[in-house]
Amino acid sequence: MTSVLTRMVSRALLAPTLVVAAAILVKGYGDVGDGFAAGIVAALGILLQFLAFGRDEVAAALPVRHARSVALFGLSVGVAVFAAPLVLGGAPLEHWPPATQTPVQIGSLELITAVVFDVGVFLLVLGSAVTIIDVLTAAGEDGR
Amino acid sequence: MNLLFALVIGVLFGSGVFLLLKPDLFRVVAGLVLISNAANLTLMASGLTRGLAPIGRAAGDERVADPLVQAMTLTALVIGFAVTALLLGLSVSVYRSRHSVDLDELSRQQAADAVRREAREAPHDEEHELDESDEQRVAYHEAPT
Amino acid sequence: MSLIALPLVILWPAAILLALLDGRRRGPGMLAVAALAASFAALAVLLANVVADGPQDLVAGGWAADVGIRLRVDALGGVFAVVSCGVLLAALLQAVITGVQARVTPALTLFMALGLTGLFLTGDIFSFYVFFELSMISAYALTSARGGGRHVSAAFIFAVVNLVGSFLFLIAVGALYRATGTLEMQAVAERAAPIDPTTAIVIAITFFVAFGIKLGLFPFHFWLPSVYLAVPPHVAAMFAGALANIGAYGLLRFGAAILPSELALSAGALIAIGTVSIAYGALQAIARRDTREVLAYSSIGHAGYVLVAIGLGGPVGLAAAVIFSIANALNKTLLFLASELRGRLTATAFLVGALSVAGVPPTAGFFGKAALFEAGIDAGSIAAVVLLFVGGALSFVYLFQIYQHDRWRPRAEREREMPRGHASRGQRSVALTVAAVVLVLGLWPEPLLAIGEHAAGELLAGGAAR
Repeated sequence: MTSVLTRMVSRALLAPTLVVAAAILVKGYGDVGDGFAAGIVAALGILLQFLAFGRDEVAAALPVRHARSVALFGLSVGVAVFAAPLVLGGAPLEHWPPATQTPVQIGSLELITAVVFDVGVFLLVLGSAVTIIDVLTAAGEDGR
Repeated sequence: MNLLFALVIGVLFGSGVFLLLKPDLFRVVAGLVLISNAANLTLMASGLTRGLAPIGRAAGDERVADPLVQAMTLTALVIGFAVTALLLGLSVSVYRSRHSVDLDELSRQQAADAVRREAREAPHDEEHELDESDEQRVAYHEAPT
Repeated sequence: MSLIALPLVILWPAAILLALLDGRRRGPGMLAVAALAASFAALAVLLANVVADGPQDLVAGGWAADVGIRLRVDALGGVFAVVSCGVLLAALLQAVITGVQARVTPALTLFMALGLTGLFLTGDIFSFYVFFELSMISAYALTSARGGGRHVSAAFIFAVVNLVGSFLFLIAVGALYRATGTLEMQAVAERAAPIDPTTAIVIAITFFVAFGIKLGLFPFHFWLPSVYLAVPPHVAAMFAGALANIGAYGLLRFGAAILPSELALSAGALIAIGTVSIAYGALQAIARRDTREVLAYSSIGHAGYVLVAIGLGGPVGLAAAVIFSIANALNKTLLFLASELRGRLTATAFLVGALSVAGVPPTAGFFGKAALFEAGIDAGSIAAVVLLFVGGALSFVYLFQIYQHDRWRPRAEREREMPRGHASRGQRSVALTVAAVVLVLGLWPEPLLAIGEHAAGELLAGGAAR
């Protein structure tokens, strides 16, 4: 069992970690960051919960059991964005609106189809990383 | 900057090799992770340039940073991530079937197994054959993935 | 859509789809076989086109030629892709007919085929690394797929040793990029000549170590026997027949095409290491009794032959390396597939493979060995000819030993060691088909020889153009 301090700090850190992950995800278009890094950061936040609380408590508090479906959903989003231009007669991964047009902007975030692809990558990485953490912790706790 | 990168890569690779030679599966995995990061850093160092983000057209004669090494390193990182997960899975399944991660202990067990198998084969009857295949089936179901 | 991308386009979705299905059932197994067969056919047509009309290029995604990722197929890559895909097809078919034991086997086989096809067809050094890792990761997972302590420890050692090789390769890629400023194989070959010789030789040695580990050459061989023993025979056939091609192809591509002057400089060292590999592999094989152990050690010896041929160099030597690698891939596949089956017909198939490894006509192996002899004579090296002769004699001895050990024994004793019963018709026909291919290439070797010479010619032309 970990100390009270560790548990409190871990719990307090989860939300900021997810916010940082979201920032990395949306800033990737004019600045440093992308879906993969965001997914890893978010997974690190969840890994911290596993370390502090153990597998059973995390499974009760967070929807860890859906991680596989999240990963699959992310993969299908990515594949869809990859393949959609092929169906519409462009090159794979070509984004819309094209570079010559100005896309809709929310603050500094530009809404182009590449954002959707990166969200897919984010979900895929987050889902598979959490699945891996879950499987490995389960194996470790069984062995003891 | 180059010297700094060279030093860091050297330290990472050296520590990785040091851990790789330890008789403990998890230390070996950690060593491999360090070596993989040394390789990633080498990739970064192979195209160290300072300049604007290579998105869109650069205005005037301003220099643009080399985007290729970043892309390569990112890909290599993802591959390293997958490999680490696989190796950890393998170590866990070794631990679960052998209850040890010490390589010396594992090879001792393996030698003992080989002796037992030879001894079993000499009088050889069908019952043992069945036992062995059952054992394998059980082991398969227990293994993750 | 160009024909180059077609095998990848078939294999990629099929592999992802199969990863979600239970591969132990017959349906997904047959789907995997069908996908592999389709990409094998596409590759064969592609190879025929390439031999007739010269190399083909495709830049992915409609990008400009120096921005996009380039797929490039020439005779060397094409023939290795066809052979590897064919070997995987035979091994997977055998596995599906026998009954797949692990649910991931068909998906992993497809991922391995995808990685191999990709790396043989890419014209970009970094994509080579990505595809190479894809096929290696599938191999690690295949080794451990059956579960159980022994297999997993073998898989662990296999993965760790080969990963160190992969990371060395990655470091060499970084160094080459630093020295030449490009990742495209042709451009790298053109710009590699003026780089500082000390830098170039360090890069070349790093590449050599990386591929030496994959190929299982003598000082890097220690992982190989335990892995070949731990996996089922059809997986061993995949490793020996398809995965080992990466090493031979890599040495040819990165040595002969990209760094030819460094290759010429180190020819003596290559021949020496090759000789040690041949001697070590053959002597260890003679000392063993278990069929698969003998075959594993004989693979180490055969890696040595490829290295000697590359060391001898020139059009004849490089052609010999290609021809021998192909013949050897087929032989090893045949021997591993036939080693676990009983019955008179599979014994014949095994015998064909054994004769082919020893280099007895009319088998493909004869022309592999003959090409090596020619290279030795062409280089005026009597030592090489003697080495090949002694090596051939030794391989005859160890193969005869295992044939005698496996097949010339009282029936009761044999049945005890191979309790599986008679091979079914399907199992037999896979082994017999591979045996027929080996025989046909022995009786009608012109295509094999022509492709070998063609590939060597292209490699040397690429080196001379710079």
